[in-house]
Amino acid sequence: MKSRFLALLLIFSLTALAHHGSSISYHLDKTMTLEGVVTEWHYSNPHPQIYFDVKGKDGAVVHWAAELLPTPLMLKNMNVGWSRTTIKPKDQVIIVCNPSRVETAKACLAKELTVNGKSWPLGAGPGGAPPAAPGARR
Amino acid sequence: MLRLAFLLLLLPQAPQPKFDPHDLSGHWNRTSRFQTFSNVPTGQGNAAGSAEAPFTPAGKAKFDENKPGYGPRAVPPAIGNDPMGTCDPLGIPRLLNTEVISPHQTMEIVQVPGRMIQFFEWHHDWRQVFVDRQLPKADTVDPTWNGTSVGKWEGDVFVVESIGFDERTWLDKFGYPHSENMKLQERYRRIDADTLELTMTITDPEIYTRPWVSDTKLFRLDRAKSSRWDEQIYCVPTEEYQFNQRVRDEAGGRGAGK
Repeated sequence: MKSRFLALLLIFSLTALAHHGSSISYHLDKTMTLEGVVTEWHYSNPHPQIYFDVKGKDGAVVHWAAELLPTPLMLKNMNVGWSRTTIKPKDQVIIVCNPSRVETAKACLAKELTVNGKSWPLGAGPGGAPPAAPGARR
Repeated sequence: MLRLAFLLLLLPQAPQPKFDPHDLSGHWNRTSRFQTFSNVPTGQGNAAGSAEAPFTPAGKAKFDENKPGYGPRAVPPAIGNDPMGTCDPLGIPRLLNTEVISPHQTMEIVQVPGRMIQFFEWHHDWRQVFVDRQLPKADTVDPTWNGTSVGKWEGDVFVVESIGFDERTWLDKFGYPHSENMKLQERYRRIDADTLELTMTITDPEIYTRPWVSDTKLFRLDRAKSSRWDEQIYCVPTEEYQFNQRVRDEAGGRGAGK
């Protein structure tokens, strides 16, 4: 039963990743970590998006965008706290993401997300994510 | 081994739920993995190869013009032209063989006097199949996104014949084309209480040299689904546009700034 579940999960994940050509646009076998300050959070179709500023070692600020899983999948995660106000401007984020296949592009596919020190599940719900703490939906 | 098989036959079988083979109503989730019109059996998910299409030269040229974001010819969506990227209607048969998939996986069938109606969760689209009339003559039908459809029962198979399709739609997410003169036959069969089978045949001499038959699509009845419906699974043009401009095009190397 467990292996069957894992197989289904894998199929599900591959399907999700392929939405809107993610498997073509991003290096799914590579990750990078970005730390920055949120400027916008769009919890909308077709994929939720985080826009944020990253300050480089030279002090220069670079504006980035990270897309999340398809919104219908994220909606299934609402029971663990995702909402239109999960993230807000000026929040501190750490995003582990797949980089674009275009080296100069400032857009990536989010894999792991930390907001103000709290880790948020990015997998497709339900399942695989801890239940929300009371009052977690901000 | 034969003895074991014989013994297994003697074991009491769990009773199968009764069902009316002429009742197709309910919420159906596609369980067959492939998301294209016609697949090679060994294909895998989105990387599946499609069975070789019997293209005419004009059909091959039209196929080459279509730049999908999926499959062996996939290009970054930023430089593709999949109608889904602009929230254009997906049309029939694409709604049947591509988009009935998680997370927008459900097709609901409703049978009312004179019509069979299909609701598709993705795009909140729907089409109707008339069961009380003949298919009109092709030259009297204007092309529409989902075509003009009539259906009838042949034994326990519900056979839908359709004409009058808008040629801007694709057959599937791999970019297979069709003309306005495509004729589509769908054959639905409820093979048990929880399983619906669908096969399709396209006849379109402008694009394909012979009738092209789909692989078998399977759907499973979702009995719990009748109590819920995911209201937010729209393709919203304004949201898609801003996502394309600020993320998808950027990731594809055509960024205009965020």
